[in-house]
Amino acid sequence: MKGGMNNVVLLVGIPFVIYAILALLMGALPGWVLSQTPPAPGVVPLTAQQARGRATYVAEGCAYCHTQQVRPLKQDLVFGRPSVAGDYAYATPELLGSERNGPDLSNIGSRQPSDVWQYIHLYEPRSLVSSSIMPAYPWFYRVKEHADRGDVVVAVPPGYAPSGRVVIATQEAQDLVAYLKSLKQVPLKGAVKR
Amino acid sequence: MTREEGTTSTRVTNAQRAASSASGDADLFTAFTISSTIWLLIATAVGVLLSFKFPYPDLATSPYLSFGRLRAIHTNGTFYGFASVALTGVGMYVTARSSGISLWGKSYAWAALCCYNIAAILGTITLDLGINNGDQEYREWVWWVAIFFVAAVILSTITIVGTIAKRAERYIYISNWYIVGAYIFTTILAVTSAILFYQHGLGQVAVQGFYMHNAVGMWFTFLALGAIYYTLPKLLNRPIYSYALGVLGFWTNLVFYPIIGAHHFEFTPIPWWFQTLAIVFSVGMLVPVFAGTGNFVLTISGRWERVRRSMALPFIVVGIAYYFLGSSQGTIEALRSLQSIWHLTSYTVGHSHATMYGFITFIAWGCIYGLLPKATGKEPNPLATGLHFWLATIGVTIYVIALSIGGTIQGLNWAQGDPFITSVESAAPYWMARSIGGTMMFVAHLLFAYNVYLMTLARRASNPDAIGVVHA
Repeated sequence: MKGGMNNVVLLVGIPFVIYAILALLMGALPGWVLSQTPPAPGVVPLTAQQARGRATYVAEGCAYCHTQQVRPLKQDLVFGRPSVAGDYAYATPELLGSERNGPDLSNIGSRQPSDVWQYIHLYEPRSLVSSSIMPAYPWFYRVKEHADRGDVVVAVPPGYAPSGRVVIATQEAQDLVAYLKSLKQVPLKGAVKR
Repeated sequence: MTREEGTTSTRVTNAQRAASSASGDADLFTAFTISSTIWLLIATAVGVLLSFKFPYPDLATSPYLSFGRLRAIHTNGTFYGFASVALTGVGMYVTARSSGISLWGKSYAWAALCCYNIAAILGTITLDLGINNGDQEYREWVWWVAIFFVAAVILSTITIVGTIAKRAERYIYISNWYIVGAYIFTTILAVTSAILFYQHGLGQVAVQGFYMHNAVGMWFTFLALGAIYYTLPKLLNRPIYSYALGVLGFWTNLVFYPIIGAHHFEFTPIPWWFQTLAIVFSVGMLVPVFAGTGNFVLTISGRWERVRRSMALPFIVVGIAYYFLGSSQGTIEALRSLQSIWHLTSYTVGHSHATMYGFITFIAWGCIYGLLPKATGKEPNPLATGLHFWLATIGVTIYVIALSIGGTIQGLNWAQGDPFITSVESAAPYWMARSIGGTMMFVAHLLFAYNVYLMTLARRASNPDAIGVVHA
């Protein structure tokens, strides 16, 4: 059997064609079709500030520990209603995630609407949740002697605050919190098709 | 000049040429192995630091050492800096030996090595600066970094296909089917996934499922299986048990693997039937896994004494065992009833280490220990090899068992409606155990690096001149 798969052209060509077809059918085509999904009613694009906050969320890899996908399972309902395709119409790059070292954030804007809480939590999570394993993000803040006009002062609990000085949220922190507060699932009216 | 003299002189020239070009093969194998070893050390040092951030979250608080940035550096460093380069070095050497000639197009191979490293260096720097494609696992590198990796794969393909085309052997050995396949598939895969303009929102999720599974299945699995099909019979000094099982494995891997990517996104709004299709073919994956494992075990059968006395074969045996366990585990995980508990927990991280480390990395080590001394004529240290083997084997086993138990408990906590923080608290001891296993694995890598030094750059111990120099 010289010929057949002992011919280098066939050895390269046959698997190439088979895999190219499969890559098209299983990768590119579903990717293209699902990219056309229209937004669910009420799902709107982010504002410029929220988009900057999302870019920070992406850059810092928040999605490695926080999913943005509520599964149609009983244990996920604490995070919100099951996600639908139209929730993700403006969500590029996608941030569905693969691991929940922390809770799902699909609906965190509704579940934790307080920016005071978010600012303190991002500065030092353990000041609010003692057994949290979330990293602290002090580089989103400036520590100053006195607050100036227009500064967003963060009321860090005693023991975690630098003594005698004030913690100020930078523009980056304000953008990130604006993004987190924008994560609100729109209510679905009527029957949900799935 | 008589005819006889002419023939003799030609023969001498050919022999000299063969010797010099075979040393060219050895130089390439050496360079790929050293390069991959450096990335193994960097990427797993990062991995150990990451694991200690679970018990000590305030450890090394800095943007450049933060969990969210380092995690991608660990995964991409191990995938593309270490495993891809190590297995390409092995793959090129295997292709040349099984083709009966010296590697064709060595300059392409050297260029490939450069491109792999440019990609890994740029990728590490950009990720540490927070420049990425989002948390799209194993394709976080932005396109202008990924393009160097694609170039490296294409350059490697040219060398390997060229070598097979020029082969002195009549038949193309089965290992080369798998190795050539890996490069062809990965070129297509990388192009499909690196082009981002058509991917938005949920569409990007679909491509991501396809990409992340195929990067493991069509790249590393094919490379590792190809390497086993050559190295295992070579070290046992007997033919592979069944050529036909190897062929069956090749075609079933090729057809089943690309269909199962969506099992990474079960219970998402990706169409339900598409997820079901992925689950069905995940069960189908048992066919190539059983065919491959059975073929390897039957090849070894009756030669266990040889395995015991070999430095390289134990690594390959552990690699085959983890191939079987990790792949079967993947099938079971894909079932919806179990996925609902295990998905999104640390269980998945245990699974990925069972496969990428227990299987892929052990096969790379076994082939390097088995083939590199033949290429360079220099042996590793037996004690260091033994310690490397046991630390890595015990380390990864602790790692996988710890996260399997911890992940299951996390999933059960969620299922019974505990507050989220309960799952963090109950997984904590298992995360600590993972750090202990991970530290053992890292120490094993230091011993491997020492052995790579002995097999490549070190002076030949058996060379009396070298000893004389030392004493003088």
